[in-house]
Amino acid sequence: MKILGVTACPTGIAHTYMAAEAIEQAAKGKGYDVKVETRGSVGVENELTPQDIKEADAIILACDTSVPMERFNGKRVLSISVSQALKDSEGLIAKALKAPIYGSSNLTDEVADIKKQRAAGRTGFYKHLMNGVSFMIPFVVAGGIAIALSFLFGYNAFEQEGTLASYLMSIGGGAGAFGLMVPILAGYIAYSIADRPGLAPGMIGGAIAIQLNSGFLGGIIAGFLAGYIVVLIKKTIKLPKTLQGILPVLIIPVLGSLAVGLIMFYIIGGPVASINTALYSFLENLSGTNAVILGLIIGLMMAFDMGGPVNKAAYAFGTGTLVAGTGSMTMAAVMAAGMVPPLGLALATLLFRNKFSKAEREAGKAAVVLGLSFITEGAIPFAAADPIRVIPSIMVGSAVTGALSMLFRATLAVPHGGLFVLFAVENIFGYIIALAAGAIVTAFMVGALKKNVS
Amino acid sequence: MLINEALIDMALDADTKEEVVRGLATLAYKDGKINDCEKYIEAVLNREAEYSTAVGFGIAIPHGKTEAVTEPFLGFGKVKEVDWNALDTKPVDLVFIIGVPKKDSGSLHLKLLAKLSRKLMNETFRDELRKAETKKDIIAILETVF
Repeated sequence: MKILGVTACPTGIAHTYMAAEAIEQAAKGKGYDVKVETRGSVGVENELTPQDIKEADAIILACDTSVPMERFNGKRVLSISVSQALKDSEGLIAKALKAPIYGSSNLTDEVADIKKQRAAGRTGFYKHLMNGVSFMIPFVVAGGIAIALSFLFGYNAFEQEGTLASYLMSIGGGAGAFGLMVPILAGYIAYSIADRPGLAPGMIGGAIAIQLNSGFLGGIIAGFLAGYIVVLIKKTIKLPKTLQGILPVLIIPVLGSLAVGLIMFYIIGGPVASINTALYSFLENLSGTNAVILGLIIGLMMAFDMGGPVNKAAYAFGTGTLVAGTGSMTMAAVMAAGMVPPLGLALATLLFRNKFSKAEREAGKAAVVLGLSFITEGAIPFAAADPIRVIPSIMVGSAVTGALSMLFRATLAVPHGGLFVLFAVENIFGYIIALAAGAIVTAFMVGALKKNVS
Repeated sequence: MLINEALIDMALDADTKEEVVRGLATLAYKDGKINDCEKYIEAVLNREAEYSTAVGFGIAIPHGKTEAVTEPFLGFGKVKEVDWNALDTKPVDLVFIIGVPKKDSGSLHLKLLAKLSRKLMNETFRDELRKAETKKDIIAILETVF
């Protein structure tokens, strides 16, 4: 038999401990195992562990203040006042062993509990993703705002070396914050899976995802690869005790990073490069046929992987259609489609607050600025956290925008986007309608697909 | 040490628990542990009103946490059977009084008081306190706790 107790009183000076002693003596008197958690003015002492609770036959709560209860679900719990515990410590144990089960008092509740536990297991994948995303968000926001500030000096002002605009771009762009974004995402996905040892292989894998131009989706792959490879290493490599110390400092970082890196280069790198060239020639073949369909496809591509091979192919194709001094309808569609994901998601965080975590709602505010600055990356935290629901939503929204931009025959004469180049847009009215339509479509589709955050 | 001879009264002359609290609080006040005697007594009696600190076995542990306390202390008094609304309805003859400053950062003394509280549940310990005749004896017994 094992009896647990929790004692607490408002001042927590004396009675908490006297009640604890009373319960301990009563249980020991009957020859039972006993452990009592005291929640007095010195804080929580002798805290009950999940293992203790699992093994317990009954739990006695002698508390005159509220204490955390969820942990006792499914256990016999006797709840009494501190004074009762002191008065009748002998009878306590017998009463506790006959006490009603706490929490799930009937079968349907128990079934619901089991289902909840299973759902928690299933969300492991999302838990790892969310861990990576939550660490990535500040990099996206800081980098995006720094880049947007640089654009205030003109969309190409950063090209002048030694200027404030160029420094801002260095802070925010690929050499700074945005360069860390994917490694941080990958690193903390791996950290979530494999704990500390996962971090280095994960971040290195993320850095390779950037080199391979595979975007944040490549980073997600690198993160999961690294996490599970490290778990595998921990499970399979058994060293004699004297050498165990080198596992986390030598074996895991080296073996893990090499494995992740080589898999990325040999297995991910090839397809990424060929996707990029194949899509580029696909778009070239398409040009000159139906402009609206081309706009639609460009929209789908711009939003698919935001900085990955598909997005880059569309962007490169767009800039390729620019002839110095004249506007290009294709480039206009590319830019509009690139602005929609962050704008649409920012709108969604405002319209459907309960579908987003607090961090995501904050990121939504920054996403407005990033979207208006043609920094599509502002949407990455949302897409990475819930790719299956968010990516289709932003693809559809961007496709609507791309097609409408073409339909309205808007053109753009510079290889960039955002508020700072609106002067270079022709048919600006149609263009803004196209943008707004896409953002609204994205917002409502995300709202319909995403589940409420509990 | 939380307790010293100035905080002990081996034959406190009091008929009610208010008088006991006042008597022991006055000792603490004279010893410089309290800067506002009335305020401390009020805090202790308010605490009593929540439920009696008489825990049975003839023992009561009135206590108060208030800014009137300048230094944590433990006082002790032997009294002649005072009614304290005890849980077991028995009158009280041993009283420990505790004072803790409101804004108290350290927790060492609270741990010591926790130990004492546990020890009071032990019958031999209580018997020793009752047999003790001098303040020195009391302090010697309490030293085994701390």
